[in-house]
Amino acid sequence: MEGLLTQPFLTALLFGAVTAGVPLLLAGLGEQISEKAGVLNIGIEGMMLFGAYTGFVAAFYTGSFTLGFLAGGVGGAVVASIVMLLCIRFGLNQIVIGIAVTIGFEGLTALLHYFQFSRTYPRLDAAPVIALPGLSQIPVLGPGLFSHNAVVYLAVILVGVFTWMFRSTYVGLNLESAGNKPAALDAAGVSVIKTRALAVLSTGFLAGLGGAYMANVGAGLFVPMMTGGAGFIGIVLAMLARGKPLWVLLGAALFGASLSMTTALQVAGVNVPTDVVQMLPFAMVMLVLVIFARHSVLPPALGLPYVRGDRG
Amino acid sequence: MTRISRRLMTATAIAAVLATGAFGAMGTALAADVKKLAIMTPEDPTDYGWNQQGYDAAKAVAEKFGLEFMPATGLGYGDVHPQARELADDGASLIIAHASGYNTAVPEVGAEKKVPVAIVDKEGTGKAGVLADYTLSGHEGAYMAGALAAKMSKSKTVGIVVSGEPPSWNSQSAAFANGVKATDSGVKILYAVIGPAAYSDAAGGKRVTEQLIGAGADVIFGQGDGASFGMLQAVETAKTKTWFIDVIGDKTKIDKGSLLSSVIWDMVPVYTQMVEDLKADKFGSHEYAISLKDNSVQLLHSKHIPDDVWASLEDLRSKIIDGSVKVDRIEDAQKVRALMSQVDPGPAQ
Repeated sequence: MEGLLTQPFLTALLFGAVTAGVPLLLAGLGEQISEKAGVLNIGIEGMMLFGAYTGFVAAFYTGSFTLGFLAGGVGGAVVASIVMLLCIRFGLNQIVIGIAVTIGFEGLTALLHYFQFSRTYPRLDAAPVIALPGLSQIPVLGPGLFSHNAVVYLAVILVGVFTWMFRSTYVGLNLESAGNKPAALDAAGVSVIKTRALAVLSTGFLAGLGGAYMANVGAGLFVPMMTGGAGFIGIVLAMLARGKPLWVLLGAALFGASLSMTTALQVAGVNVPTDVVQMLPFAMVMLVLVIFARHSVLPPALGLPYVRGDRG
Repeated sequence: MTRISRRLMTATAIAAVLATGAFGAMGTALAADVKKLAIMTPEDPTDYGWNQQGYDAAKAVAEKFGLEFMPATGLGYGDVHPQARELADDGASLIIAHASGYNTAVPEVGAEKKVPVAIVDKEGTGKAGVLADYTLSGHEGAYMAGALAAKMSKSKTVGIVVSGEPPSWNSQSAAFANGVKATDSGVKILYAVIGPAAYSDAAGGKRVTEQLIGAGADVIFGQGDGASFGMLQAVETAKTKTWFIDVIGDKTKIDKGSLLSSVIWDMVPVYTQMVEDLKADKFGSHEYAISLKDNSVQLLHSKHIPDDVWASLEDLRSKIIDGSVKVDRIEDAQKVRALMSQVDPGPAQ
């Protein structure tokens, strides 16, 4: 047990929690935008996976992590454009298309990996980190929380930006109207289709960025199916957050911390079956669901295609 | 007239019974029936590990016996009933279900289509002519890997990272721990499971490995399929020199200087025996094993292992083969975990 209290281990624990939580945060924030606009984006897992692939490919061939993250975001947005076309433009069932997108891109990325990397398994060097002056010097907390890749800080900043945007801007108001009362938005002269389309593309970009972070920083490589359901956890976080970005941040932090704790408990030799320890992150999410889900409010038009003049 | 009809009916019934019995027997693949060898793997056979070793071995055995090779790869960990049925309908004489997750679905299809099936991680379920288990264990090699880790560790702390707890890996984790303690009882052993079935969780592999390195481990014994590459990446980017010991396959081709060794499995003898058992009508009558003795288990001799250390490992190998060092095969996860904090020192090497 005394081995647990060493500074390097505690630092690694915090660092691991942040690294595990950031992809969920980005996916959850992205999903929140879509849901606010009335689009249930089940395909976010596929967007993350394709973002992970394109992000890794770009970083590997250019040697630039920045280009890798950018390519990951664009990759996610490309997948989102399919959802945009089929669900928003043609009004097809969002759940069916979302599942199809996820399965389709699981297969596509596995195939691309097979032809490109399956004999060589290339791996990136350690991702560059930015140590926040002053804060990063704090023992344990500093290197664990304040010495990360720029994407981590960007994700946290986005929480503040989105909070402001949802509360205080016309963009936020339009998004909310597209999900609550799309006909009213339309009557006010704002295109529901365009509002929802931009929301879905933003979701794709953020999910792709989360996937790219997972591949380039979290793993340092790409392997098929590597997102392992992170997109679905992002959907849960967005639903629980009731439109509040700060709650997405708290949920992602809780899940990341729980994942990291599973290792700590095992290393500490806690005498319970490993399966019980491994349930911890999921049990935490279920607990949060039980406590808060009753109060969660979803937009009335969520999942419904908008057709001008349609009275349902 | 009535009598003739009764005789005819009786004869027809007897013929039908005989015919049914004959066709049923044919369905369980008699010697002459072994023409096509099928293998089902959850991931592509390019992982330098479980999937690749299984695929390569099955292919080699098919060539050896002049059988048609029927691979079905990258099937994932979901329901494989359709793929198994397709292989059976295409005339597979034996289906090797190369994943513990397949050990319910594929036997069901085997029973339905009368095709013999080989499964893993379900010991004691063999059924003559129908079902055989080949839960393999490289525990003897893992014991040697433990001895190697103890000799190479400078921090006197080693880590075991696994992406699941199937019997094969449990036995290797336990043997590794025993090998470490038998060599140097002062070495601390850390153990962590990435997830319940996190075989392709590369990010999880990296995260958990980094945490064990943070806790002081400078040799990592990793068992993980796709997750192994995350472990390898964590070792390669660690701030202090850390070694990685792999299992099942040989990742030398993609090594960047951190691959210390690997407990390599050769499944050719196992699959060869399966085909011979089918031909001799003995399939399902016994379990299959790999061992140091016939070289189906080997410890990879990488360039990073000093000569004197390798010589001592060769000596240990001889002692395991002749029985003077006994390596227990422990498959229960709780018993494995108990070994991490309390290990019988055993004979010093």
